[in-house]
Amino acid sequence: MLYYLIICRSLTYAQRTAAALERAGITARILRSPKSISGEGCSHAVKISQRSLPDALRVLQRVDLTPKRIFITAGDGSYQEVEL
Amino acid sequence: MIYLDSAATTLQKPPSVALASARAINRLASPGRGGHRPAMAAAETAFSCREEAAALFHVPSPEQVVFTFNATHGLNIAIKTLVKPGSRVVISGYEHNAVTRPLHAIPGVELRVAAAPLFQRRAMAEAFRRELDRGADVAVCIHVSNVFGFVLPIEEIAGMCRERGVPLIVDASQSAGCLPLDAQSLGAAFIAMPGHKGLYGPQGTGLLLCGRSPEPIIEGGTGSESIRQTMPDFLPDRLEAGTHNVAGIAGLLEGLRYLRRRGLETIAGHERRLMREMGEGLSALPGVQAFLARDEEAQTGVLSFRVEGRDCEELGEELGDRGFALRAGLHCAPLAHQTAGTLETGTVRASVSPFNEEREIHQFLFAVSGLVH
Repeated sequence: MLYYLIICRSLTYAQRTAAALERAGITARILRSPKSISGEGCSHAVKISQRSLPDALRVLQRVDLTPKRIFITAGDGSYQEVEL
Repeated sequence: MIYLDSAATTLQKPPSVALASARAINRLASPGRGGHRPAMAAAETAFSCREEAAALFHVPSPEQVVFTFNATHGLNIAIKTLVKPGSRVVISGYEHNAVTRPLHAIPGVELRVAAAPLFQRRAMAEAFRRELDRGADVAVCIHVSNVFGFVLPIEEIAGMCRERGVPLIVDASQSAGCLPLDAQSLGAAFIAMPGHKGLYGPQGTGLLLCGRSPEPIIEGGTGSESIRQTMPDFLPDRLEAGTHNVAGIAGLLEGLRYLRRRGLETIAGHERRLMREMGEGLSALPGVQAFLARDEEAQTGVLSFRVEGRDCEELGEELGDRGFALRAGLHCAPLAHQTAGTLETGTVRASVSPFNEEREIHQFLFAVSGLVH
């Protein structure tokens, strides 16, 4: 199943992001960012389904939360960055 | 034992506090240090605590709520961020050593004390205005005196600081959980508070509400941006190096929830009622001087008193032997005693919480009357 990972600058931002999405009815799960995409070391990401991204971006814009980076899973298990 | 030392630590707490702390020891790991369930559960608890505090103190965003070990820790961060060698700093005449000692440790600080008689809020505001007008780089002000329960006019002082562009640090050690405190309207640079007093958390907890970017006083792992050898530039990670006091935070969360359920107004009203009854009762006893404000709004549930011809520490001991927990001496606030004129004698301090009852005040007054007659 394809999904998006919203990379957040900190665990607290990830929690704010997930809380805002959940409040808007978008299922969101916090997890540690995969090492291959974590950039500057440990970070947290919020996982959402493929179909939720447009709504999620709208919600995050509304609450003034800017995603650091967003990745989508590829069929081979790797991640591809999504240009915003 | 009748506990009248809540200004030091609220010993009586909602039962949910201890339960949550005990549960956390067995079930919660370290926030941000793993993706497993105990780590994520700890992260949820910490986030809930930040959110609860942000709502209570009107902090715009939960990451501006930073966990500290106590108010002193938070005050040290705030002071060391803003005060540099040679800075001109205005403080009230009622500050605790948690403020004055860090300031004295910074070389060349020009300290200006805005002093006013006890419980005179207008004079206090005027004193601050005078000192700020002389030019200041930073202001530090206690919201409520830990010795006398004197409620300083913090909204007015914050307004003066905003008008003059002087960053303000608020020591809310005695007011957090006892009086309404609105971080957004105060516009203070930092507000520091303990978790173990009016917020009913365990000892070893505290909060620093950050209105601006702070400088860390300890560095270390944060579970974020691990490759970098400098501390993250974002809150709360910038100030939270090392493992959190998760058991403490879990308890603090329950303390904050209790406050929300019970209501600050109800708590403040109860504490003031008990304190006034105590103050009026003590004032009626021969040789007893109770420091009681005429204006009820100028004092919280903290009351100092002294007895003519009696050493305050000995009196505190004697009351302790009779089953009353109080605190005597200078209360780590010699400046406050100097301002109020009690530096030579010290005082005995009684302080109440929502868990005290009127009958306990009557028993206390009876005990004091037996000692002074």
